[in-house]
Amino acid sequence: MKSNRRSARALNPYRSLDRAAVALGLVSILSGVFIFVHGTFQVVQIGAISLVVALVLGLLAMAAGWLAEATLMVAAGVGFLLAAGLQIVLLAGGSGGFLGGNASTFSLWLGLGVGLIAVGLVPRPEAAQETFAAD
Amino acid sequence: MAGTDYAANTDYTADSYFVTRAAPLAPSRLDRGLLAIVRIGVGLLWLQNVGWKVPPDFGRGDPPGGLYLSASYAVSHEVFYPYAWLMDRYVLPNFTFFGWMLLVVEAALGAFLLIGLATRFWALVGVAQTVTIALSVLNAPNEWYWSYLLMLLVHLALFATAAGRYAGLDAVLRPRWQESPSWLVGWLVRAS
Repeated sequence: MKSNRRSARALNPYRSLDRAAVALGLVSILSGVFIFVHGTFQVVQIGAISLVVALVLGLLAMAAGWLAEATLMVAAGVGFLLAAGLQIVLLAGGSGGFLGGNASTFSLWLGLGVGLIAVGLVPRPEAAQETFAAD
Repeated sequence: MAGTDYAANTDYTADSYFVTRAAPLAPSRLDRGLLAIVRIGVGLLWLQNVGWKVPPDFGRGDPPGGLYLSASYAVSHEVFYPYAWLMDRYVLPNFTFFGWMLLVVEAALGAFLLIGLATRFWALVGVAQTVTIALSVLNAPNEWYWSYLLMLLVHLALFATAAGRYAGLDAVLRPRWQESPSWLVGWLVRAS
């Protein structure tokens, strides 16, 4: 059964898209490290609430890629774009707001959101999705 | 010719002419990885540096700071007169609008270069943005002009190598875009 699953994945032409979704989710989760980093090497500003956003949406994106679920990828992407939009609205108010991020957080979530939506919207014939479901 | 890796030739027929040229580098795993690192690194450069552009006033005040101060160097430490005139006449008096424009462009630069989507297009935007920054601060105190030349050159390298095709989303999406008859998707093919 395991070898069948492996060969099915290897043959799936959409595997690269699924791996991209996993990678984007992983980037989000890894960005959580910056809650502990301050000063020169703080590439992105992550506060407590933005850490939760990064972890939840990152895990959703990884699960979407792992399960080859395009709808979940788009959902995670939309989630990131909503979070990015909220962050920029809060910044317009003069602070990072309750999310605790800044414009770099907006930039990161914008990229992850656009990326996940771009990957999730690639048309997939049903047969390709059934390749996974068959096992 | 001893000690060389190409054939000596004295007759310049078509075949012998091509023998004397080095074969194009076929990107190895290492090459692809290094190009991905450069692209991601440049994406992180923009991503981190958009963080100090703070709306809604972007540093406009007394004393000025942040982005407004940097932009005002274009006038106080002029690099190129027409640009200084433009900044003085139109940009600085309407700085909230231009500050937001700059924030959005730099945030998008960080976002798209990081994920490697439409990389060639965003590399050109990076070139334009680098020129804009250089025209503002090149003559400001404690600036090293090679910083901006290096930024310019690295964006040209990202454009020339289509760096999003290495561990970027362009790598997985471009082959699918190429099959589409849509003009919008055709633009994405050229942008990647």
